[in-house]
Amino acid sequence: MRVVIAEDQALLREGIVALLRDKGIDVVAQAEDGPGLLRVLSGHKPDLAIVDVRLPPTFTDEGIRAALEARAKYPGMGVLILSAYVEPVYTAELLDSGGEGGVGYLLKERVGDVKAFVAAVESVAKGGTALDREVVSELVRRRDPDGRDGALSALTPREREVLGLMAEGRTNTAIARALVVTPGAVEKHISNIFSKLDLPASDEDHRRVLAVLAYLRSG
Amino acid sequence: MDNEYLMDEPKSEINWRAVHQLQLGGSAFIVFLMVGIWAASGFGTFWPVWVWFGLSVPLIVQYAIRRGLDGPRRWRALSVHAALACAVGVILTLIWFLTGFGFWLFWPLFGMAAALILHAFGTAWWRALHPKREQELTERVDVLTRTRRGALDAQAAELRRIERDLHDGAQARLVALSMQLGRAEDRLEEHPEAAELVRNARVEASNAIKELRDLARGIAPPVLSDRGLPAAVEALGERSALPVKVNARLGRRLSPVVESAAYFVVAESLTNAAKYAPGAAARVSLFEESGRLVVEVDDSGPGGADPAGSGLSGLKSRVEALDGILVVVSNPGEGTTVHAELPCE
Repeated sequence: MRVVIAEDQALLREGIVALLRDKGIDVVAQAEDGPGLLRVLSGHKPDLAIVDVRLPPTFTDEGIRAALEARAKYPGMGVLILSAYVEPVYTAELLDSGGEGGVGYLLKERVGDVKAFVAAVESVAKGGTALDREVVSELVRRRDPDGRDGALSALTPREREVLGLMAEGRTNTAIARALVVTPGAVEKHISNIFSKLDLPASDEDHRRVLAVLAYLRSG
Repeated sequence: MDNEYLMDEPKSEINWRAVHQLQLGGSAFIVFLMVGIWAASGFGTFWPVWVWFGLSVPLIVQYAIRRGLDGPRRWRALSVHAALACAVGVILTLIWFLTGFGFWLFWPLFGMAAALILHAFGTAWWRALHPKREQELTERVDVLTRTRRGALDAQAAELRRIERDLHDGAQARLVALSMQLGRAEDRLEEHPEAAELVRNARVEASNAIKELRDLARGIAPPVLSDRGLPAAVEALGERSALPVKVNARLGRRLSPVVESAAYFVVAESLTNAAKYAPGAAARVSLFEESGRLVVEVDDSGPGGADPAGSGLSGLKSRVEALDGILVVVSNPGEGTTVHAELPCE
């Protein structure tokens, strides 16, 4: 897998590179700002770009803008945004930007959980989705303030947990591991959720995540 | 709904117009009564004229004082003096007329006119000696307005700088720390106990990052400086526990200090609504109208909020420091409306 990183702070950039190299993931190029990212992308055509939201020269949302532009330019490439804070506006822009490549939005401190981070990197590079659990919990809470939303309140607490993990972009196996249950039990929960929410069933992980996200965001 | 704010005006002042009308009506009644008594007692000398005179004295004096007080502030003492002199002159003339021109009117009028002229000269002379007092005050107000605004702008910039420093400094170092701990944890798979210790350290680092993040957001929300007020308010609406409808129409970026005051008005109002009106719906509107930014947050909750509560009074002083106004209307059973206007030219 070939990865490009755009991060202006050397400390963090080198940390991520070292961590990915530990795991055998090849970081082919590094950039320090938005224009730099677009420049290295044209040369390297990577599978994934890991982009910090706040980049020079503006130190505002330069990273998101560059990521959206990159997604439009290189449709197959995955984009994983790292940010110091969860911003629903940016998540929405990212999810609405179309494109076939995978998308991810993680808080920076998640990088410390190496296994989960590497899983997210691999999933997004393959066209999957990885959303931070804070993004997901905001989506669920918005969709279901005080449980007044009929469909969501029909879910059991366990099913809601599974729904949250699914929206984060986790695979069945990862969900089973997180909840300490068998993959079979997870599959059963998922089919219950899909029938209760009246969502189109799909075997493919990525489509399934998109269906759940579309449902949560339709509020 | 706009009229609701008018109801909030203080009503402590006496309605002088009504008092005067009552006085006039009473006087007119007495005038007719006296004429009736005079007629009933078989005419004779027309004595009611003295009652009329008695009634007219307070009216003349009152009218004179009111006119006198209308004068420009710098000449007010003189204008009250002049009005009173005219009133006394009129009253003297009336007495002179009613007593059949029984005394020499000239000298009292002459004396009053002399006093008035002296007063006028005195005032003019004093003003000539202190010609700049008014101008000085005006200039002082200008300077104070400008420096206060400058101080507030500097404060807003400083807060953003602190937020940036937190992001680039402590937060980044903690993230780097948590990455290194993560790598160490990853290599300690053979030693589960040590791995557990490292994991705990990493979780602590994550908690510290989260606390810094919450702190930074409370100081200067990044989305506000990145995307401006409408986007930041939308984000607040999305983050709220209540269903919030946001109607934000702004064609331009405003100064940071105005944006941040408006942002915190919305943030605090939505927090209050979620706290005191759970299950209600809220609506936020935001628009610019003749040089003022109007911010309004209303909810369909139970109302009855205390405008003196610490959150609301803090907002009020924040808004007033920018020469804005903030009104809270919260009648029991009618929901709560927070309305703020901020000059933004």
